[in-house]
Amino acid sequence: MTTPVDQRFHLAWFKSFTPHDWRSTWSGSEERDWMNGDSHVDFLQALERARFDFLMLEDSLMVSDTYAGTAEASLAQGGYAPKGDPALLASMLLSETRRIGVIATMSSTFVPPWLLARMSATIDHLSGGRFGWNCVTSSENRAAQNFGMDALPPHDERYERAHEYVDLVTQLWDSWEDGAVVMDEESNTYVDHTKVHPIHFEGRWHRSRGPLNLPRPPQGHPVICQAGGSPAGKAFAAGNADVLLSLPKGLADMKRYRDDIRDLAEKAGRDPDDIKVMYIISPILADTDDEAREIQAAMNANVEAGIKAQMVNWSATMEIDFSRFDLDRPLPDDATTNGHQSTLSTFRRFAAGRTLREAFTAYRTEAIEVVGSPATAADTLQEAMEFVGGDGFLVMGPTNRRYVHEITEGLVPELQRRGLVRTEYAGAQLRDHLREF
Amino acid sequence: MSDMFHLGWFGSFIPTTWTSGWDGTDAADWLNGRFYVDKVRTLERACFDFILFEDSSMVSDTYGGSSEATLKRGGWAPKGDPMALAPILARATERIGISITASTSFYPPWMLARSIATLDHLSRGRVGWNIVTSSEDLAAKNFGMDALPPHDERYARADEYVDLVTRLWDSWDADALVMDRERGVYVDHTKVRPIDFVGKYYRSRGPLNTLRPPQGRPVLTQAGGSPAGRRFASRYADMVMALPKGVPAMKEYRDDIRARAAAEGRDPDSVKVMYVVSPILGETHQHALDRKAQKDAAVRAHPEGQLIGWSGSMEIDFSTFDLDEPLPDDVQTNGHQSTLANFRKWANGRTLREACVAYRTESMELIGTPDEVAAQMGEAMEEVGGDGFLIWNQPHNRRYIGEIADGLVPALQKRGLMRTGYGHEHFRDNLLEF
Amino acid sequence: MTSRMFHLGWFLGNGFGVQAWNQEWAGTGATDWMMPDQYIDLARSIERGGFDFLMMEDSVQIPNAYRGSSEYYLRTASAAPKQDPAVLAGILSQFTDQVGIVATLTTTFYHPFTVARMMSTLDHVSRGRIGWNIVTGSSTYAAKNFGFDMPEHDLRYEMADEFVELACKLWDSWEPDAVLADVEKGVYADHTKVHTLDFEGKFYSSRGPLNTTPSPQGRPVFLQAGGSEKGKDLAAKYVEAIIANPPGVEKMKAYREDIRRRAVEHGRDPDSIKVMYLVSPVFGETDAEAEEKLARRDRAKESNIEGLLAGRSHLASIDLSRFPLDEPLPDDLISNGHRSSFANFKGDGTQTLRERILAHSATDAVHLCGTPVTVAAQMDEIMQEVGGDGFLIVGTPMHRRYVAEVTDGLSPALRRRGLIRDHFEHRLLRDNLLAF
Repeated sequence: MTTPVDQRFHLAWFKSFTPHDWRSTWSGSEERDWMNGDSHVDFLQALERARFDFLMLEDSLMVSDTYAGTAEASLAQGGYAPKGDPALLASMLLSETRRIGVIATMSSTFVPPWLLARMSATIDHLSGGRFGWNCVTSSENRAAQNFGMDALPPHDERYERAHEYVDLVTQLWDSWEDGAVVMDEESNTYVDHTKVHPIHFEGRWHRSRGPLNLPRPPQGHPVICQAGGSPAGKAFAAGNADVLLSLPKGLADMKRYRDDIRDLAEKAGRDPDDIKVMYIISPILADTDDEAREIQAAMNANVEAGIKAQMVNWSATMEIDFSRFDLDRPLPDDATTNGHQSTLSTFRRFAAGRTLREAFTAYRTEAIEVVGSPATAADTLQEAMEFVGGDGFLVMGPTNRRYVHEITEGLVPELQRRGLVRTEYAGAQLRDHLREF
Repeated sequence: MSDMFHLGWFGSFIPTTWTSGWDGTDAADWLNGRFYVDKVRTLERACFDFILFEDSSMVSDTYGGSSEATLKRGGWAPKGDPMALAPILARATERIGISITASTSFYPPWMLARSIATLDHLSRGRVGWNIVTSSEDLAAKNFGMDALPPHDERYARADEYVDLVTRLWDSWDADALVMDRERGVYVDHTKVRPIDFVGKYYRSRGPLNTLRPPQGRPVLTQAGGSPAGRRFASRYADMVMALPKGVPAMKEYRDDIRARAAAEGRDPDSVKVMYVVSPILGETHQHALDRKAQKDAAVRAHPEGQLIGWSGSMEIDFSTFDLDEPLPDDVQTNGHQSTLANFRKWANGRTLREACVAYRTESMELIGTPDEVAAQMGEAMEEVGGDGFLIWNQPHNRRYIGEIADGLVPALQKRGLMRTGYGHEHFRDNLLEF
Repeated sequence: MTSRMFHLGWFLGNGFGVQAWNQEWAGTGATDWMMPDQYIDLARSIERGGFDFLMMEDSVQIPNAYRGSSEYYLRTASAAPKQDPAVLAGILSQFTDQVGIVATLTTTFYHPFTVARMMSTLDHVSRGRIGWNIVTGSSTYAAKNFGFDMPEHDLRYEMADEFVELACKLWDSWEPDAVLADVEKGVYADHTKVHTLDFEGKFYSSRGPLNTTPSPQGRPVFLQAGGSEKGKDLAAKYVEAIIANPPGVEKMKAYREDIRRRAVEHGRDPDSIKVMYLVSPVFGETDAEAEEKLARRDRAKESNIEGLLAGRSHLASIDLSRFPLDEPLPDDLISNGHRSSFANFKGDGTQTLRERILAHSATDAVHLCGTPVTVAAQMDEIMQEVGGDGFLIVGTPMHRRYVAEVTDGLSPALRRRGLIRDHFEHRLLRDNLLAF
């Protein structure tokens, strides 16, 4: 007798604490009030209804003025800044939901480790174990300058620091044994001090005496998410992460990337199934396939605006001023970054032999194109996962309510009918969701 | 002129009392936040101006050289991060202010400026930052330092820190958000400026990457008794939390803060001085006295709780002293200097045990029926001139919160001493309403 | 002609029943329809979108009209199952701050005291945002659930008139200053200001007084959907908003003028009664996309004549399966249910049943179709012609994506034209409804 194979994959959403899609036809009336949290609460409740594993909140710590040497374009778009603190939003969102997880980005380069350990432990407690930390090393000198440095440490050093940082933070989480709170009335003892230990951490870059001043988080360690594509990033992720946000494009690269990560994880002594590799998608959905393709064509027709928007964002993340380059020539070879190295090298590979205009016209953040009715979109996702092997998708798209509902009330029910995503949460904590299948 | 004064609540994000007999399940569940949600809703119903969360970043092991005593009693630690709790409380309420302690010694200023700005948005203009410089070397060690900077240098740093943070908040004009659909402009970049701050202790390029907070500058609260602390408070604070003992000292303190504020070029009415109290309420006057006597007897039998608290805050190991002798003369601290000085002055030769019994973290003793206590508060404010009281969790459970919110507050309202509704949406506007 | 601001309401046409459930974008509608969640989302969304109120239809039977069987209705979850909207109203009031909440309660099936007390309670807990949609009921089967035969149409309206009169007396049985809540003196209410009624009517009697205190609005806002003479009279006498669907701009204008004239006859300011027209706009990213969607829907209708007949049978309490599709309906066929709406549907006898059922919408006064910008312009034009007072959006199919199209697409487009409110001027539903 054979048990049917569990074909299920994971769903999550990728977003920043930024204004919602303020210019579209369906932008609603919250362009001004997005920071009060209301619309984000509704958004997360919709994702929970659709049984998503988690919402991941990206972050950055600067107003970019790389593009043409001014913040004008970046602020006009309103995509990179303004941006609120995602950990605080996460706490509010989790208090309005019961099962779904929220992962907030915090920078190992800028946040003192003790603060991060405590903030994330507190949110994990407040949410009953549904918090995750997206560990980034930050990639912009502009951010470093906000924190009183002249520039970021070099790329690979940031990862070495991050290694040590994660080590320290996990030691702080572990500085209280489970069961340290005894509440024994006989001996009038609230906490058994023999189960709470200083850690006396002395690293190359970080020091902390410890212990943390609150009990071990419900998940032990809040979920750790990572987005590295560079060799240093991948090694780091394979050793530490529960979930990986990954950048490869196309099924072959997606599969290669996942196999690679699983291999590295195994070499690091981990069960490869404990790391979930998730791919970015931005489905275009409509009542019919024709209609979806029309919408896609209309989006692509607005090429110039699209190119400008991409270049402004790339200038911000790479700290390379793309306004300087001739759009009708390829990206100059000497353009380098201390920021998102793997993103740049992926782009270079993709753009090889293309002019910048051609490259930006064709370039997509998403791993695979998903266009059509919910049924067609479900086909695409099903086939992709069958080929790649797992582990799921991160939706990145406009968070106007209409689009969100197309995903949660259109695509997800179709996936559920096919047994491809969960219809009910089995566990209570975020890590339970990730390891459910 | 209004006779009204302000009420705030002062406490920490810690377990409730757990052996009082009225603790429900809160001491076990406190980290899920629900007790605090209920608490802050109760205080909002009772028209408190705000709740203020103290904070610290360590597990103290000063007393007896071990964390045993402090953890056993669960007073100083465990303690959750109030910054993480604040968004939940903001979501659960509409008008009450929420002031969060964050240490200038440990938070990178840009991060603090953004977190507080975010909270001000999430609360729709109801957040306060309670500025502390921290006073414990043990906390510094958690942040990779060997010790804190000396007391007065901490204030010099804090001065620069607050200057930097306010500049970051001001780096976005209030009208920077234009949302021009036609031109595709969300934010007008000419209204967002780098600050290029280069100070003695801090540097930051800026601008902040988030919208100007709804209050412009979130409410700043502070507690400072030392001259450096008073100077700092009178320069920046909207609300000063104070602990002078007795009505004449309260008045002297307030007059001093107001004079200093005026000297800084501020309207003295824009600084509210609020005094910490822990009223003991009873069904009858005698009942209240009995409750007080019971408390004193409990402390006399087990003074360690008080000694642990002092050990933590002053970083002096009180377990090494004879309980039935006064505090030796040669004891020093790098922590809360004014606390130690005040302590000595106040203890005035008392044995430690009797000091524990007599000591209360409050400016004046309030004991009686709700109506009697309301009268005492009204009289004190009449003499002092203003501006209100901070109720300190004693004991920290729902029953005590209920006694204050549903017993004392209606009595104050009946006398016209306390607000019966909020006049404004923002914390500062309510604080400055009278 | 110049544009004036108008009102929006949301008409939940299937009440607290099964909304979209097996259609595209239906989400978890099939399993979660009985939970309040999607209605909370709806109420909050329309509050953001500047709607005056959410109105919940109701009916209290499992229909049996078509082919004399409940099969079609239960198989397709049409008009049944359905839960009590008053319960939902209480829940929604706690999740919103400003939007009005209107529940349908049938005069024929309740006692006035029950309705007066329920509405008063809801008005308190909503802080003055409750409305009552006064219906007399229309279904034989519903009446049988209450143990009697459905009274005749005009008689029902006579009963309704007395019902409302008595309910108003109950709401007025406490003088406005009867509650002292004087803590000092220990006096809660002054009994000399709380009066018995000893009402003895033709249909109802009640001693009174009501056992709740005067609510923020005193009495709920009254709504009604009368198209018959009796219905229009009842509306003109009592209600603050009337739900109407005369087909086409000309008839809409005539209808409104008729209602306003009747209001004046009853001694009322005609501006104190708002005539609101049912519409179900169809939206797209482009006008062409919306037109395609509409065309797809029309094609779907043609293959679902059974469904249309079953729906109409239910409204009219007449089994339309008995009549040949390719002939006009008999002249003498009248409904004891939704009388005027059925007469409208039947037409003048020149078209066959098939033609009528395909052409005639049960709800829409006018067709609105296009991008939100296009639809906003259409609404603007129509209101300029008609004179006022607003629209009731009928969400069909009622799912979250459609709600977002209205509240996050149409509402901003209307606001940019200055046609609907961008904030609520008042706390009470009545004040907002009469604000312009």
